[in-house]
Amino acid sequence: MFDDIYDEPQEQVDIKEGQLYIDASSWTDWHYINLTATENKVVKMSIPTEALPSPNGEGAEGLYTYWYDVFGEGLSKHEFRGFTPTISQPEPDEWHIAVHRNNVRTNGGAAYETPYTSMNDLPESSEAFANATFTEDVWNELDVWTIQAQMLQGLIGNQGIKVNPVLSLWLTVSLPPVPPVFTLNNHVFIIKFNDGTYGAIQLENYQSPTGVKCCLTINYKYPY
Amino acid sequence: MRFWLYILFLGVTLVGYAKQDQEGTLPDAGEEPVEGLDSMYYLNDVVVTGTRTPKLLKDAPIQTRLITSADIEKVDATNAEDLLQQEMPGVEFSYAMNQLKHMNLCGFGGQGILFLVDGERLAGETMDDVDFTRLNMANVERIEIVKGAASALYGSNAGGGVINIITKEGTEPWTLNLNGRLARHNERRFGGSYGVNGTQLKNMLNVNHTSIDNYNVHNAPNPATQVVATVYGDRTWNIKDRLSYTLNDHLKLIGRLGYFYREQTRTADAPERFRDFSAGLRGLWDITQKDNLELSYSFDQYDKSDYHKITHMDVRDYRNVQNIFKGLYNHYWQTGNILTLGADFMHDYLMNKNLGSRTESQNTFDAFAQYDWLINTQWEVVGAVRYDYFSDSKDSQFTPKLSARYQPISNLNLRFGYGMGFRAPALKEKYYNFDAAGIWIIRGNPDLKSELSHNFNASADYTTGHYNFTLSAYYNDVQNKLATGVPHYLPGDDKQLYLDYTNLAGYSVYGGDATVQARWDNGLSVRFSYAYTNERLPKDKEGNTINNQYIPARKHSLTARIDWDKQFSSNYGLRLSLNGRYLSDVKNVEFIDYYDISKGTSTIHYPAYTYWKFSAVQRIGKAFKVTTALDNLLNYKPKYHYFNSPLTDGINLMVGLSVDIDKLF
Repeated sequence: MFDDIYDEPQEQVDIKEGQLYIDASSWTDWHYINLTATENKVVKMSIPTEALPSPNGEGAEGLYTYWYDVFGEGLSKHEFRGFTPTISQPEPDEWHIAVHRNNVRTNGGAAYETPYTSMNDLPESSEAFANATFTEDVWNELDVWTIQAQMLQGLIGNQGIKVNPVLSLWLTVSLPPVPPVFTLNNHVFIIKFNDGTYGAIQLENYQSPTGVKCCLTINYKYPY
Repeated sequence: MRFWLYILFLGVTLVGYAKQDQEGTLPDAGEEPVEGLDSMYYLNDVVVTGTRTPKLLKDAPIQTRLITSADIEKVDATNAEDLLQQEMPGVEFSYAMNQLKHMNLCGFGGQGILFLVDGERLAGETMDDVDFTRLNMANVERIEIVKGAASALYGSNAGGGVINIITKEGTEPWTLNLNGRLARHNERRFGGSYGVNGTQLKNMLNVNHTSIDNYNVHNAPNPATQVVATVYGDRTWNIKDRLSYTLNDHLKLIGRLGYFYREQTRTADAPERFRDFSAGLRGLWDITQKDNLELSYSFDQYDKSDYHKITHMDVRDYRNVQNIFKGLYNHYWQTGNILTLGADFMHDYLMNKNLGSRTESQNTFDAFAQYDWLINTQWEVVGAVRYDYFSDSKDSQFTPKLSARYQPISNLNLRFGYGMGFRAPALKEKYYNFDAAGIWIIRGNPDLKSELSHNFNASADYTTGHYNFTLSAYYNDVQNKLATGVPHYLPGDDKQLYLDYTNLAGYSVYGGDATVQARWDNGLSVRFSYAYTNERLPKDKEGNTINNQYIPARKHSLTARIDWDKQFSSNYGLRLSLNGRYLSDVKNVEFIDYYDISKGTSTIHYPAYTYWKFSAVQRIGKAFKVTTALDNLLNYKPKYHYFNSPLTDGINLMVGLSVDIDKLF
């Protein structure tokens, strides 16, 4: 009874022109987006978790286990607990950005957060942002949560990899409380890619129709 | 320590003052008419929960704790949690992950204590407990609490006792009350009730709204276990209507409708919503002067949904619907003996996105008989038996109960009894499949057996002069306790942990409580209650220590209330109340590492605390009441807000106003 009060979520998300829907809820996958591809715009690639006997290359790539004070002061209080070397993160030949839950990487690009909250309000072209300060990807071993098997102990295995700190602001995860609070930032971001082209990108929604978090509905304009 | 000295001093001073006053105005205690004492402690009030037949509190063969509407007003309680933890020692509300509330009453949790509203069960549960915010105190006439196994009358879930909330029925030709209360964290409570009371038709409509913001609490570094950092507020609406129609001297119909709504925002973009829809119809037929029959139908639907603000979609992920038909027949003999026969049918439907098949349902049927034998003026014995059948497991349960009351002198009652309690596994416990944030998968177990308990209890209550004393003791032996067991891996898979529902090995809890209360003609009344609870924590059937789902009961708890009430003139009266509780520390055995149980367990210490509230109610004219209260009077701030700490950030000023519009005319 009283079914009419509620909404029945659609199985499929209606995707409009200039929009992508990616189920990025997996802890163990990156989703690579090629904005110029006419088909298969998104390619999923797993995060390597198998331990190597010794560090690969410069020795930084792998899984970093950190303890977080998730029930106390929060994520800002953390301690390094271990490192497991792995092979490098596999990538497709062509891609512009990659998403993993609330994390975003660029393929050698840089990003700027605009005050705009609608793609329609953006200036005609990216030239309007010529003087803006763009931020490149930076090394991160705290945020790309990959191994959740000991999360209740506050221990999380993170992939050590470069991510874009500005783009990753589009979805913030706060702990405590447990479970975490997700906060959407619907500002439009401008990305300067490594080939000199620009794109505009916005996170419209981070939930699936049934409420699964990190299912991303992304608006984009490329080239911009 | 200084505080306790102060309380002691205050108590002694007030008692001394009361004695001075009574020396001049009252006859000797021994000459106090028993009728007067009875009315002082509500001993002439009618209670129904212990035997399902009306009994004077003083004559009830099953010890019943009565909380009246006057008690509720003194505590200024908003809901059952506010009231019970202040009025009853041995009651503690703690929290699970997501701040879901869990009640412990003398070692029994939410599924072992049966909550009833006007005798009807409540649908829906979260972490095994009913939604306590549904149990609004605004329209409550009284609450009857029967501790100990009552499954022989109430079936499953009554192994630890029954809490029956009985709502008000109008007595005046018409009543209209509007009330409100404001407090910190933008806490608001608004209510209204409108009652009409004709010769045949009575109606009572209640509307109540509460809201409180989320707020943060501070914890010191390095807590020993999980703490709460943000206290989630909520918004509730509670609307109830109760209509009764007396057809003639023999026949009365009572209909009711209810709607409940609660919204809690843990995630800004997806607040959680909880709704309940309830309805019922009850017919009371006095067939003869010695026979009556009650037939009823009850509907209760409890829903949970998430409102996705971005897409404006309200998506339901949980629904529990109970349709219950009940019949109850009583035959009264002139000697005072009573035969009670009853039968119930319930269709229980559960939709939960975390059930393997998403929906499950089952029918339950029961029949019971009770004989209340008033042997003579001193002895009364009540025996009951009950049979329950559950269609899902095709399982059945037989439960007996035997109680006796002995009254050696007119104001002393001794009660003792034995009762069997049981709890049939809930559909969730049989069919759940929930990935708990990657920590483990909680799995139902279709092979679960019913949890059984044997309860032995004894009590005494004695009233003399201005004093009333109550003592009680109990022992519960629980077999096949239903709970989650030891986390484990499946053979060949050392990555995914599973936590299965199971029947644990033997478990026991014993304890007792003592209450002393006194009332004097100068308007002073005091009540002190102490409860002792000792849980022998369960293990699994292989003898392994399990991770206790909930923090166990505290061994010692104390509640206290001191009231002073004076009507200074026909237009002004004042009542001052000091309410407090003390809960001793408690230890809980918890796994050091949930993912490697070979590391063993550690003992987490949860500290003792005391919590007090002072309130002043000014009665202005006949219609106005102004309440000013200081909640958390001692400004207690837990060092760590553990899951059994009071979620407070300090003293809280509350200001309320209540207007009886009908009394303005």
